[in-house]
Amino acid sequence: MNIRCARPSDLMNMQHCNLLCLPENYQMKYYFYHGLSWPQLSYVAEDEKGHIVGYVLAKMEEDGEDNRHGHITSLAVKRSHRRLGLAQKLMNQASLAMVECFQAKHVSLHVRKSNRAALNLYTNSLGFKILEIEPKYYADGEDAYSMMRDLSAFAVDNKTDSQSTENLEIKSESAIISQC
Amino acid sequence: MPPSNPLPPKENALFKRILRCYEHKQYKNGLKFAKQILSNPKFAEHGETLAMKGLTLNCLGRKDEAYEYVRRGLRNHLKSPVCWHVYGLLQRSDKKYDEAIKCYRNALKWEKENIQILRDLSLLQIQMRDLEGYKDTRYQLFMLRPTQRASWIGFAMSYHLLGDYEMANSILDAFRTNQMKGPYDYEHSELLLYQNMVLAESGQYERALQHLQKFQSQILDKLSVKETSGEYYLKLKRFKEAETVYEDLLKRNPENVMYYQKLIEAKQLSDPAEKVVFFDVYKKEYPRAIAPRRLQLTEAQSQPVFERLVDEYLRHGLHKGIPPLFVDLRTLYENKTKADTIEKLILQYIENLLKSGAFGPEPSEVKQPASALLWAYYYAAQHFDYKKETERALHYIDAAIEHTPTLIELFIVKGRIYKHAGDPVSAYQWVEEAQALDTADRYVNSKCARYMLRAGHVPRAEDMCAKFTREGVPATENLNEMQCMWFQTEAAATYQRLHQWGEALKKAHEVDRHFSEIMEDQFDFHSYCMRKMTLRSYVGLLRLEDVLRAHPFYVRCARVAIQVYLRLDTHPLQDAPQTPEPDTENLAPSELKKLRNKQRKAKRKAEQESALAAQVQVKREQHHKARQQQEQGDPEAPQLDELVPDKLARVEDPLEQAIKFLQPLRMLAADKIDTHLMAFEIYFRKERPLLMLQSIKRAWNLDKGHHHLHDCLVRFTRWLDDALPNLHPHVAAVIKAEVQPMVGGRSAVQMAEEFVGGEGVRRQAGALWGARALRRLLPERTEQALALATSLQYPDLTIQGCVEVLESLREGEFGPCEQQIERYVEACAVRFPYAIAFKAAGATSTDTPHNDDPQEPACTN
Repeated sequence: MNIRCARPSDLMNMQHCNLLCLPENYQMKYYFYHGLSWPQLSYVAEDEKGHIVGYVLAKMEEDGEDNRHGHITSLAVKRSHRRLGLAQKLMNQASLAMVECFQAKHVSLHVRKSNRAALNLYTNSLGFKILEIEPKYYADGEDAYSMMRDLSAFAVDNKTDSQSTENLEIKSESAIISQC
Repeated sequence: MPPSNPLPPKENALFKRILRCYEHKQYKNGLKFAKQILSNPKFAEHGETLAMKGLTLNCLGRKDEAYEYVRRGLRNHLKSPVCWHVYGLLQRSDKKYDEAIKCYRNALKWEKENIQILRDLSLLQIQMRDLEGYKDTRYQLFMLRPTQRASWIGFAMSYHLLGDYEMANSILDAFRTNQMKGPYDYEHSELLLYQNMVLAESGQYERALQHLQKFQSQILDKLSVKETSGEYYLKLKRFKEAETVYEDLLKRNPENVMYYQKLIEAKQLSDPAEKVVFFDVYKKEYPRAIAPRRLQLTEAQSQPVFERLVDEYLRHGLHKGIPPLFVDLRTLYENKTKADTIEKLILQYIENLLKSGAFGPEPSEVKQPASALLWAYYYAAQHFDYKKETERALHYIDAAIEHTPTLIELFIVKGRIYKHAGDPVSAYQWVEEAQALDTADRYVNSKCARYMLRAGHVPRAEDMCAKFTREGVPATENLNEMQCMWFQTEAAATYQRLHQWGEALKKAHEVDRHFSEIMEDQFDFHSYCMRKMTLRSYVGLLRLEDVLRAHPFYVRCARVAIQVYLRLDTHPLQDAPQTPEPDTENLAPSELKKLRNKQRKAKRKAEQESALAAQVQVKREQHHKARQQQEQGDPEAPQLDELVPDKLARVEDPLEQAIKFLQPLRMLAADKIDTHLMAFEIYFRKERPLLMLQSIKRAWNLDKGHHHLHDCLVRFTRWLDDALPNLHPHVAAVIKAEVQPMVGGRSAVQMAEEFVGGEGVRRQAGALWGARALRRLLPERTEQALALATSLQYPDLTIQGCVEVLESLREGEFGPCEQQIERYVEACAVRFPYAIAFKAAGATSTDTPHNDDPQEPACTN
């Protein structure tokens, strides 16, 4: 598996991966919007044949200068490629770019209340905290947890950025596939 | 837009309000003001007001009236830039870009320096890739508005896109020094990186590197700085510096495969043993990273070294229970020794785990968790499935399921084993079992739907997908809205297999429309990216769009469409209903009753569906309205014709339709021989000799010995025998000269005979095509042709290959041969015992591809 920053030519294949894995889908234009507004923030994981097996699609929320923060629009890893820690690695790369390029202070996301595996990844492996519950956030009426991760640890001296990423790897995503 | 045909002050004020209403999307008000002007008989034919009224109507979806008013306005005032501009905008909204460009040019004739029109023109030019025109327009805009940022950027970019890097760079330099003042923000950073990209593309790496170093501190995107400078150092052979850069990059992201490859390049390592040692270093440095451990396996060449490394890798994966272990290692199997080594190890693990609970036989070995055996079974099942050893694969997957009956992954693999063994029905049923274990996982749901399509069950697959599509809307509609192309390409292929030509074409056209839409998507970004300064990505977008239809989704759906159109050209549909009534006369009374029941059920279902559809229609209209109001960008998107399967299948000019799908392939998939073979098939039917020749030549240059190409050549030669005397002498001379190196003076019969005596027929597909040509030219040798086609002695024999032979026999390509078909089916059934294609109809399968009654007992639930 290879993890790298997404290019415009990846966006269609990210859409394909999204449609395979997640209920929330977007038209291509929305992917273009991300890739052309914040080209540094989206990452892909690809297999040896160059097929995309996971991605993170991210953006900046630019409401006010002091509240510049990143937002994860969508994160998916194919079920066939779980337990390699890809989601965590993708998220850390995107977060670092948010800090470097856009001085993000934190990153936010929404997750379905019922998605235990993802919730576990965000809280235990990536240090997200639940901010609040957003009732009926999803089209089908399900509630969302609105979550946030502080990114100040990424903002330390750029020379040791690798260490900061290492430190933030709290615990690998052991519970993504829970019942085996 | 100031009106150039003066109205009195009162009317002029009203006219300005129409313009303002248009800009603010208050279309109803705009019409009111237009009415106020036009109701005055003195101005009833005021051209610009009429034009604006038309444009406003267009935004309200009244297209026909819009054209009427705009044209009338224009007729009344042919020298008005406003009228021409409006006409251009109208055409643009209709996606008639070439027409729109002409209108803008006319408008500019009457008002040379209208910034708005020049801007609109430049957008269309870049959209249409009229790069020279774009450059001229950007130059004018630059001269007219030299203080605006976008003027500089557009001006520079127009040179960049034409490959004039020096000019582009000078403009950017001047802009940067004169215009960009103030804080070094993200936009400044992006501009510098764009300039650097221009320098790099000019091939001046030294200069690009210096530029990068000079401005490094002003660039926020540190990753790009490092990645590009690494690139430059390598290009300049400054290996030590390159090494430092890539070491740095690895610290940032030790899972990036390219960094390791570049580092190997920088260290100038070529010996596999050296590379193995190289990866040892990074394994230690980044113990949590997978990439260095995995890449080491690819590089290791000596068997004992590979065995030691892969042993470690497998034990780690099985111990931790990493499901993608096989998927991860699969590419190593191209090397037979490596595959054998893995097989030996896995079988050893299983043996030892069963005996002592450890991976090895020594008493000192650490005991493994019970799950290690499970994952070893799981691996073995996939391993043997890969090797097409169905029995052994099933043995291990069954052992795994017995060990842990609730693991979803196991059922997916079991399904895949059946799929590979040629039994798509059992395959989807096992994946359906997996799906039932976790209904919240869309990945399993999608996989299940795909397997259902492979088994020919379109409605069932749609129902499966519906679990994740928006409620209240048919699944297909939501999938289409979301541009879900995997489903649509797969469904197109399924319909093709089911001979439902119209439905197959509908799906193919839907996919094609997505590609058109994605081309359109560019439009808004032409101006957006200039504001945002994300110019590198913007250029990336333009280059992507240039080759968009090279995407596998398009290539696949175009192939289906072309094949279906070719088929419809040869066998046009009769006017009879497409699905004939089943022959009820020969049915037993009980079966007849069953059939009637089924028809009743189907009718009920259809009624329910149409009721739902009616509801949906209402909802959709509301939804569309809401969206139109929301969506500021493109409220006037043109309505596309509805795709009606029956109409598509009865198209009058199937070959012309096929050519539409072929054109992008000829541009973008010219490296695929299939493209040229399909082109030949089309032009052969159209009797276009030069285009046939061109297709054959292109295919010939890709693969001289290709089996289908052989057949094309034979048919072309045979066709020329009759046609050559009637061709224009110049054309005939060209063809004669050009086919000479390929045909070498042989007749079609000689070529066919030579082919069946040569290398080509040692492979299954070659044998089939060779046999076809032989039988066509020499019917008296049908016996020999049949023997060739139906032999099972080919080393590359596949189920799919045998199915093709069978279809060819059944289509009558070898004349009537009932007995041979029967014998062939029997022989194939022995060779591929699981494949349902060779099972006697209704013998063992509980399921036929045409059966879509969900009540049918399946093995699941």
